[in-house]
Amino acid sequence: MNDRRRINPPPGGTTPPAFLHSTKATNRPVRTRPANLPRSIFLQTGLVPSASGSAYLELQSSSSPPSKISLIPTSSSPKITCTVHGPRPLPRSAPFSSTLVLSTHVKFAPFATRARRGYVRDASERDLGVHLETALRGVILGERWPKSGVEVVITVLEGEEDAWWADDRGEGSGAANAGWGMMSVLAACITAASAALVDAGIDCVDMITGGVAAIVRSTGHAADATVNGGSRSVVVLDPCPSEHEYIQAACVVGYLRARDEVTELWMRGDAGPESESLLDQAVQAAILARTVLSETMREAALLKFDKQAAELNSDNATGDATRRKAKSKDVAMTG
Amino acid sequence: MAPYTTIPLSPAELSYLHTSLSQTPPIRPDGRSPTQFRPLVAETDILPSTNGSARICFPDGTEAIVGVKAEVERSKQENNGSTSEVHLKRDRRMEQQNEDMEDRDANEGKGREGWVELAIEIPGMRDDDALPIFLSAMLTEALLADQGLKDALYINTRFHWRLYIDILLLSLPLSYPLPLLSQTTHLALLSTRLPALVSEQDEDPLFNDDWEASTYLYPKSNPSQTAQRKPPITLLVMAVGETILFDPSADELAVADAVVALSVTQSTAGLKLIALRTIDPPSRLTSGGIPNALNTTPVAAGAQQTALSSNEALKLRENDQGRSVWRPPRGGVKRVVLSRMIKAVVEEDGVGGEVMQGLANVET
Repeated sequence: MNDRRRINPPPGGTTPPAFLHSTKATNRPVRTRPANLPRSIFLQTGLVPSASGSAYLELQSSSSPPSKISLIPTSSSPKITCTVHGPRPLPRSAPFSSTLVLSTHVKFAPFATRARRGYVRDASERDLGVHLETALRGVILGERWPKSGVEVVITVLEGEEDAWWADDRGEGSGAANAGWGMMSVLAACITAASAALVDAGIDCVDMITGGVAAIVRSTGHAADATVNGGSRSVVVLDPCPSEHEYIQAACVVGYLRARDEVTELWMRGDAGPESESLLDQAVQAAILARTVLSETMREAALLKFDKQAAELNSDNATGDATRRKAKSKDVAMTG
Repeated sequence: MAPYTTIPLSPAELSYLHTSLSQTPPIRPDGRSPTQFRPLVAETDILPSTNGSARICFPDGTEAIVGVKAEVERSKQENNGSTSEVHLKRDRRMEQQNEDMEDRDANEGKGREGWVELAIEIPGMRDDDALPIFLSAMLTEALLADQGLKDALYINTRFHWRLYIDILLLSLPLSYPLPLLSQTTHLALLSTRLPALVSEQDEDPLFNDDWEASTYLYPKSNPSQTAQRKPPITLLVMAVGETILFDPSADELAVADAVVALSVTQSTAGLKLIALRTIDPPSRLTSGGIPNALNTTPVAAGAQQTALSSNEALKLRENDQGRSVWRPPRGGVKRVVLSRMIKAVVEEDGVGGEVMQGLANVET
């Protein structure tokens, strides 16, 4: 995959410099919020005027504020932007499809993670795209839009880290350490995509939100739990992987609140007999995200309809009937 | 579009299938019970140049071959930006740990994820299409959840084994190929052998030329050992209404309300679930039937057909809610149904254990 169109980084990859001063100064970030409280979400729609719908989501940076000595942030705060294009007609060469053709693209910006990612989409990003498509396909009423396609493009401006950067991953890290950050990113992507879909005005069954929960253990080594009786496993909502030494299992859900249904479920790790409670906690995280989503969409809708009402009033005042007709955005559906 | 999603069934056939699968007990098109698997043909060690191989054929014509090869690779010395001070502290901690874990395996925790590479080839699809990537991600995460596999690949601090698992689907993917590929991988890994190490400590690795002396990657059951490591297996479970079905065929998948892929592995306390993913059911891509009231075909002379406006037509369709004609499923799956699916696989005499038992009995 030799990418000659751009100026590429060194092929062996890059590592960020770590200074002697910094390793002394920073300690492992510690989760300060209670186990059942997710991070605060900032969500706003309508930021990309050229797209049918768009949304920007940002999670609050958790744990203690950075120390005065070093500028290195202690933990990451995911930032995601989503744009929806469509529904637009499929090209003439495309085969007939009686339902809306949904295509999702997830892309991490090259600066989004600690290890630089390339411009070309790699397997993990495509995998996230498939997860997102599974989540959204259950929500969108595809049968109302034959021969049309909708494109959901997600750009992750800052992704979640898989573990604390100063942690040596080799030493007794137990189960697969990579991938926990992806799950938090997926949950945020689902919520952002849902906001963008509503902003684009695409027919949906319900508003879907993403929630993530994890079973974490307080001590580092996996086997220590059997030796020392002291460490317990706790289910936390919205885990920040750099705050926990050992994540035993994690679960992401795409949840429809009004119908109490799950469209997307991704569980990893050894949950054992607690898999059901892990699922319930992830659903709880999704419910809490839903409150933020409803509030955001209500504000956005009020803003949109106020603007439309103001324009209609001004049209009425000037008596310009043709302009009023052109402004109407309703599309007659062929059923 | 993935080939398995082009479903050549009419709305009437889909509605018929859905109704017959929703009965209690469900009536499957081939007459199986809900937990009955289709018979399969399996053989191992078919490729002499690989460390392990297997081939499984399903009766509907789908066939898969998996070859496992291992290669010695030099270990990269990791640098996480830690300084000598931190190294010193860590070495002291490691010494203490080493004293504590005398009876534990010396290689524990030394395995790395990058040492296992899985590649899936499906005819008619590119490497970066959605289906091969999703399948390889699912199979890889199930495999790597077992730290024992990664530790078995450790030789010494300078070298390690790199495992290449190549999965070939030999037929076109008519139905979702995940269970076939995962069972074939399971068999291939069970038969994988690594040459016996003759060198010691950190010197360049030297192996015994005698292949009979080679060790299995997943050691066969040892009476003194309580826990036997086994590769994971991924099962496809589908739900239609309240009914849960295992090993769904392509027709049954076309009317599924929900499809879930579960990866389970053997542990000391029975089966444990290591990964779970929902799969987008192909039923969402089907087109709905047209209710009779919306039928615009002209009837015999004398009868009146009033054309409905688009809004009225839509309202009629929505109120029908798929009762009189087939409608693709909307929304998701209820949580209760999900937990029932998980339980059915993982429980004591569940389906997962049966499949593992069946595969273990395959003669090499």
